[in-house]
Amino acid sequence: MEEFFASLYEWFGPNPFYSRDMAELMRGWDITCTDYIGTPWYVIIGWSMVAITVFFYVLQYHIIDSSKFNKKHHWWIMATIVVFINFLNAFLIMYNTIQAGEYCTQDNIPISDCIGLGLSNALWSFILFVLLTSFPFPRNVIPSRFGNCRYTTFWKP
Amino acid sequence: MARLYIFAIGGTGSRVLKSLTMLLASGVKPNSDKNFEIVPIIIDPHKSNEDLKRTERLLGNYQTISNEAGLDSGFFSTKITTLDRLTTSQNRLSGSFTFNLQEVGGRKFSEYIGFNQLDEPNKALADILFSGKSINKRHEEVNLLDVEMDIGFVGNPNIGSIVLNQVKDSQEFKDFASNYNEDDRVFIISSIFGGTGAAGFPTILKNIRDAMNNRNIDGKGFLQDAKIGAITALPYFNIEKDNDSPIQKSDFIAKTKAALYYYKDNVTGNNSINALYYIADNYSGKPYKNDPGDNGQKNDAHFVEMASALAIIDFLETPERDLETSEGKALKPIYKEFGIRKDASDIKFSDLEDYTERKIALRLSQFVLFRKYLAEHLSSAIEKEAWSNDSPEINKKFVDDTFYRTNLTEFLNSFTDWLKEMAENKRGFSPFNLESSIEALIEGRTVKSGWFSSKVDFPAMNNKLSKQGKGKTYSSASQKLIQLFFDTTEEILTSKFGLKN
Repeated sequence: MEEFFASLYEWFGPNPFYSRDMAELMRGWDITCTDYIGTPWYVIIGWSMVAITVFFYVLQYHIIDSSKFNKKHHWWIMATIVVFINFLNAFLIMYNTIQAGEYCTQDNIPISDCIGLGLSNALWSFILFVLLTSFPFPRNVIPSRFGNCRYTTFWKP
Repeated sequence: MARLYIFAIGGTGSRVLKSLTMLLASGVKPNSDKNFEIVPIIIDPHKSNEDLKRTERLLGNYQTISNEAGLDSGFFSTKITTLDRLTTSQNRLSGSFTFNLQEVGGRKFSEYIGFNQLDEPNKALADILFSGKSINKRHEEVNLLDVEMDIGFVGNPNIGSIVLNQVKDSQEFKDFASNYNEDDRVFIISSIFGGTGAAGFPTILKNIRDAMNNRNIDGKGFLQDAKIGAITALPYFNIEKDNDSPIQKSDFIAKTKAALYYYKDNVTGNNSINALYYIADNYSGKPYKNDPGDNGQKNDAHFVEMASALAIIDFLETPERDLETSEGKALKPIYKEFGIRKDASDIKFSDLEDYTERKIALRLSQFVLFRKYLAEHLSSAIEKEAWSNDSPEINKKFVDDTFYRTNLTEFLNSFTDWLKEMAENKRGFSPFNLESSIEALIEGRTVKSGWFSSKVDFPAMNNKLSKQGKGKTYSSASQKLIQLFFDTTEEILTSKFGLKN
């Protein structure tokens, strides 16, 4: 999964929103600068992004499931919350790690890298939220009490 | 499907028929295994009668809605058809619900009977039979023989009985007779204290029972032994005093007595009717405008008319075994009256007897809720709520189509007018607060509340509609609208308001 999330956050190529050193830390480059045996941040942040996004999807579509919260502007409100939380999640995890000095000190990782990672995480959560809500599966297949959001996407109703 | 032929005679006939149409639209049905198709035939010489015109328009809209929505959609689920639809004959009628009385438009009664061509003894006899005064269209006093009949018979059943006798030779009666089957039934609506109804009821009844002697018609055997029910409305409303008018409230009772005396020998006395319903109200309430007919005669809807319409439902519930007829005589004639639990000037559902309440409270409330949603909330729900986006879609195009924009909207507006008129009348029938919130919609009914019960408002209705419509298939958007709302309003009103079916 690590390579999968790494390729996502690095946007499938050499142009991540953060430096190469940050990418190494995310891959688990350890504090002693010897091997990739440190915390696998890509996996942790990646799965937490998926969990947070799925949680908010379930919350809107299957728990709240209200005719008062099923229009496209409600979708955008929820998407904004998802994006914001995922940004904060990625940013704060890596910011605290760096502030605590828990990385290879030979590497140079500025705060802007944390912001870049946060943005990357936010963007992928947005994409995931779009994917989760734009197709009949899962919104029309997973049971819900009323099914009020069975047509709710980012462009309608 | 068996048919119920309803002869609605005069202004009361039209108004009772209107009430029946409202009840059928809201889904009130007889408790019977048999389904009946309703074939209304309105008999009124007074073509400009506003009550008649309103009823005709209403029936036309009902027919269109019912055809579009089908007969399994809850609301509008009883088929109403015109007589001409039943026949394939060359002489097809116009598709109207009204019986076309010949030679009454612009003619005086004396011309109708060919008074000038009579010999002297017959002239003298006609003078005796049709003595007295009445008014014409210009409100001028005239001799009874000079009455112009296109404003009706102005409270003169002796004229009406002559003119309405033409029914037996009409194309309508031939079509009726040739289509009448053994399982069909006939119902006659009339009032007893006026002209047209009081004359029309025994005349129609006699023509049906004497079918064997009518050489112009087919299906005589079935017709002679037809299962016939009738409601005769005794005085039930008050009218303004107007000394210049031939219609006087003080005459109502005398005319009623005279007609009942006639019925004693010719209707009830000879067992020619299977079920006769009497209805009356001596409550002296808000007087109607004294209009003999020259101003269009538009009376507000009255509770008694709705109760009269329930007589038709009751007649359809009557088992076959109680309506047996042999050689034109009812073997077990039934006579019924209608009563309410409490003598209230403004009747609510709780003032009705249990059976009546159960019969109409839920269905009328459903239709009121349906109307309220469409009038107040549909525009903001359309293309937004899940139920509206389910296929077939209820979208902007649908609400711009004739079905919704004209037929359904007009019908629901008439329904609202009908309820308001009944509420404002005295005695009134006002079980609904039409302008209030949904939770306060039904007088005397509060929404069941609890820890986990949500309030009943439009968003809650959307929730229920979306839940109800999920995964269902509908043949058309019209059918979906009607059936989805029937099912949803039924669920809301039974679970939240405690109404029973």
